[in-house]
Amino acid sequence: MSTLAPKGLSWVTVRQFRRTLWTAAALVLLALAGTVALRVWEARTPGRRAVHGDLLDDGLAYDLLRLTMESGAMYLLLLVLVTGAFVAGPLVAREFETGTYRLSLTQSLTPAAWLRAKVLTAGAVSTVLTLALMGVFHIGWSRVSGTYNLAWGDRGPYESGGVVLLAYVIASVGIGTLIGLLVRRTLLAMAATGLVMGVVLLVLGAVRWSFLPVLTVTGPTGSALVPPADILQTDMGLTTRSGGRMAEWACSGQAADAVPEDSGTMSDAAWNNAWNKAYDSCLTEHGVTGQYLDYHPYSHYWPTQLIESGILLALAGLALFAAFRVLRARLP
Amino acid sequence: MTPDTALRAEGLGTRYGGRSRPWALRDCTFALPAGRVCALVGPNGAGKSTLLALAAGLLRPTAGTIEAPERERLAYVAQDKPLYPRLTVADTLRMGRELNPGRWDEATAERVIADELDPGSLVRELSGGQRTRLVLALALGKRPELLLLDEPMADLDPLARHQLMGLLMADAAEHGTTVVMSSHILTELEGACDHLLLLQNGRIRLDGSVDDLLSGHALLTGPAGGAGLTAHTVVDSRTTGRQLTALIRREGPVEGPWEITDPTLEDLLLAHLRTPEGARS
Repeated sequence: MSTLAPKGLSWVTVRQFRRTLWTAAALVLLALAGTVALRVWEARTPGRRAVHGDLLDDGLAYDLLRLTMESGAMYLLLLVLVTGAFVAGPLVAREFETGTYRLSLTQSLTPAAWLRAKVLTAGAVSTVLTLALMGVFHIGWSRVSGTYNLAWGDRGPYESGGVVLLAYVIASVGIGTLIGLLVRRTLLAMAATGLVMGVVLLVLGAVRWSFLPVLTVTGPTGSALVPPADILQTDMGLTTRSGGRMAEWACSGQAADAVPEDSGTMSDAAWNNAWNKAYDSCLTEHGVTGQYLDYHPYSHYWPTQLIESGILLALAGLALFAAFRVLRARLP
Repeated sequence: MTPDTALRAEGLGTRYGGRSRPWALRDCTFALPAGRVCALVGPNGAGKSTLLALAAGLLRPTAGTIEAPERERLAYVAQDKPLYPRLTVADTLRMGRELNPGRWDEATAERVIADELDPGSLVRELSGGQRTRLVLALALGKRPELLLLDEPMADLDPLARHQLMGLLMADAAEHGTTVVMSSHILTELEGACDHLLLLQNGRIRLDGSVDDLLSGHALLTGPAGGAGLTAHTVVDSRTTGRQLTALIRREGPVEGPWEITDPTLEDLLLAHLRTPEGARS
């Protein structure tokens, strides 16, 4: 028997969920086959070009690959919820719901060793699974990265492209263990863990671009700002003489109010003129001196990933600490 | 714990839930000598399962203490025979080996299985009797010093019950295993047990070796109103017409117009269960 083969309770756990594991492995292979097939097809069907070389369209294969990667990135986020629900429900809560914990815990192992084996097995399996799926995602994403919804800072590719997805999965193992021990009802524990991990995903997604201070470019009004390439834009607007900031659309709104669109009595040129005048007077009125654009450069990508992963691993650690305390309180 | 005591409780009490809940087990104090086969009897809800779960280390007592061998050296079969439904029979036995390194005795486990179970069949497809066989194989294969069995034979047909009981007793005798077996069916235990623990309403009503308990009691039959019982503790008495039947705890030689017989274990238990808790003996 190889040294990698699971022993003791890990063996029991793997054996118990062998069908789930085979299904997961089959899904990974299916995803891999599908992604590779799309890449190959895409490479053989270049987009149509006009005579002078401009790209007319990217071709069906490219569009399909893009769509697949867009939804694939979201499926990878679902992996976080699925892992948490699985650990909380079938792995932990069901032992208490059906009473099988009494079988395991009267063998020659302590409750802590029992829970540790479960957590480590679930952690190892879900790590391998996540890394495999992230690899598959990279195969497809590398061709279409940077396009709409698929830039490095977009939700989905951000998590699946870096280490943070793995941290989410590990956090879901920890939180799932705690909820499973507390709730002790399979379905209820699964639902509760899915909900909690969903909230964690949403909250961290909302605050992650505040971990590091944004960079700003400013420029005069009248011409478009030229931001650096490959950035994640977080905000843009107008700056005033007093140093304040104003929404970009504040003056457009005011101008539109002053010059109703369907006045019908003006020529287009006259209307434009009136609109520009109203717009400029609004700028003057508020003392607008320029415009700004806040952004994260690509160099913020890995630090943000690491900070978020650190938060998630701390969360996993806290949840596991609490889980072992709950177990200790319940069982002698 | 002294080496000759297998299980000891001191003021043991358990309450499920908060303070408003009734005691499932209250103020239990006893010491079970090692090597005994103890019948844990009592009506439904008396606290038998609670006591066994406490002994197995699956519950924390609310009050008092219980001393039992550590997990490696005890085996416990819960009333509902928990098993992992998605494992096969062979998997389940391998689980016993994996989870009890250095203790597992494959031959004993195989002897309990006795070719009655297909190694490849899934646990969830087994009948109640087959499950019992498998959990007993798991429990005995562990070579426990203390074997805790909660209503072990309830799912078995009489033949299988007889066979497994014989196997269990032979194994216990061979290895000097202490057995605590709960039941509310007395015939399941009579003849197999040499120690008795009677629980009622969470309290211990009787505790002692079967021989001592039987010889310490007497079943008297005589005319109603007959004298001479004041010297003894009357556990239970019933009058049929002019005849009185009483079960007494002997406090000395019995005098008077009594026909004295030795009570059976069943007489003893019924007499104690019929009397209210105050008349504790």
